Amino acid sequence: MNNARLDWNLVQILVHKDWYFMRQALVAYLGAGLLGLFLMSAGSEGTFYAGAVLLFTVLISLGIHLAMATVVQERTQQTLAFVMTLPISPREYTMAKMLANLVIFMVPWLTTVVGSVLVLHFGLQSGGLIPFALVVLTEIFLAYLVVLAVALVTESEGWAIATMVTMNLFFQGFLYLVSHMPGIAETMKGASAVWSPTALGLLMVEMALIAVVIGMTFRRQGLKNDFI
Amino acid sequence: MTDLAARLEGVSKTYAHFSLQDIGLDLPQGSVTGFIGANGAGKSTTIRILMGLVHQDRGSVTVMGHAMPAAQAAAKRDIGFVSEDMRLYKAATVGWHMDFVRSVFPGWDQAYADQLLRRFDLKAEHPVKGLSHGQRVKAALLLALARRPRLLVLDEPTTGLDPVARHEVLAALMEALMDESRTILFSSQNTLDVEQISDQICFIDRGRIIESGDKESFLDRWRRVRLDVPPDVTLPAQMGAIPSPVASRSGRLTAVITKSFDQGMTDAYQAAGARVLSVEPMTLEEIFVANVLSNREAAHQ
Repeated sequence: MNNARLDWNLVQILVHKDWYFMRQALVAYLGAGLLGLFLMSAGSEGTFYAGAVLLFTVLISLGIHLAMATVVQERTQQTLAFVMTLPISPREYTMAKMLANLVIFMVPWLTTVVGSVLVLHFGLQSGGLIPFALVVLTEIFLAYLVVLAVALVTESEGWAIATMVTMNLFFQGFLYLVSHMPGIAETMKGASAVWSPTALGLLMVEMALIAVVIGMTFRRQGLKNDFI
Repeated sequence: MTDLAARLEGVSKTYAHFSLQDIGLDLPQGSVTGFIGANGAGKSTTIRILMGLVHQDRGSVTVMGHAMPAAQAAAKRDIGFVSEDMRLYKAATVGWHMDFVRSVFPGWDQAYADQLLRRFDLKAEHPVKGLSHGQRVKAALLLALARRPRLLVLDEPTTGLDPVARHEVLAALMEALMDESRTILFSSQNTLDVEQISDQICFIDRGRIIESGDKESFLDRWRRVRLDVPPDVTLPAQMGAIPSPVASRSGRLTAVITKSFDQGMTDAYQAAGARVLSVEPMTLEEIFVANVLSNREAAHQ
């Protein structure tokens, strides 16, 4: 990968392009996410779980949809050749793809994070669930980045799908493990959040892994020789 | 390099089932080079290396003064590229694509884009999803031409087009040739298309450039000599005569194909006792086929 300066204007144009194509889907996912938050805050235990499941489903589905639509399909539908005829370097392409995906994913993800905290703390007086919710939502973000990284590096539908399946299976186990973990399990039913070393440690590990995945994606993309 | 829009020197690329070997190709400024090869000959790989989209294993590539692939972003500011397998975004309109490309290229010529839109019978509000293959190629060509590139690289743009669409595309290219400073590399399996617009010809087969030069010299040098050869006469070996299977014999009648015809050749045949029935010019397609077959034959031997 050459070290020439990035053309940020071009990166911005490419980010805007992906935003344009994903805008309608984004509105739909955002709407479903807000519905999930509404259900969570509705009051009964049944609607709370239904809302939580809907929120997780929305975020996981959005991650899969984004990686497939903005990266894998760009190759399978042969629009990558069109993009790569623009005065763009592989590094700018990777930067644009990462930024576009992060920006688009962050809108519903941040809405969910902030909405969950508000609902749990103020709506349901169940602040004890906040550390658990943040650890789980950050795992969804990390899993999405892993899928995106595999999609970008391999540009393979098969590898991307295999990674999605693996990350979703891992998520089920992760939910169970974290909810039974000492330092989290015993404070989950409290009215206010307790930031145990376990909860903080998990969040820090997740953040570090997010940084590693982003760094490795750029590194692997830099070693790539053939773009179409 | 000042007179060259692009130069490939000793370029090689190896895949599991195909390799491009020792490719050398010069594109003089203002030239129109027809790049002819059969399916799988290596045209698209060569072009992708030239564009910086595929990295060569060995050799050097310089385009518009920029070393490729390292400086591909700078080089692509001056390149318009259309490929048969390139697709536009189905969810967007032709107009959206025009706005998108215009936002990237400051030299975008909107008046010319509008003119091409009318000529190609396209509408800005046409969704790409509903376009035929021919319309998609024309839209891609519009997007490449309206940025007024100094180098236009066209990878089989006329493949799969109906005769009318092919005519329209070639007419637009002919007009693009009016700008004498613009260099064009045009790859195709269709020698008729290449013959119409090219002044330089390059043949590629099985990953190797087998011959290149200016078109007129190709057409001047290559001839088919038809002979009446009595049974007891043996034809003398001639410089430039293409060996069997390109030479064909049926009874007394023999056709010899040569890539460097001169009058001395027919004189030698006559002196040996053969009668020269005709000396015929060859089409580019015939020259290409003869060239490929003789090179494959030579490779087998």
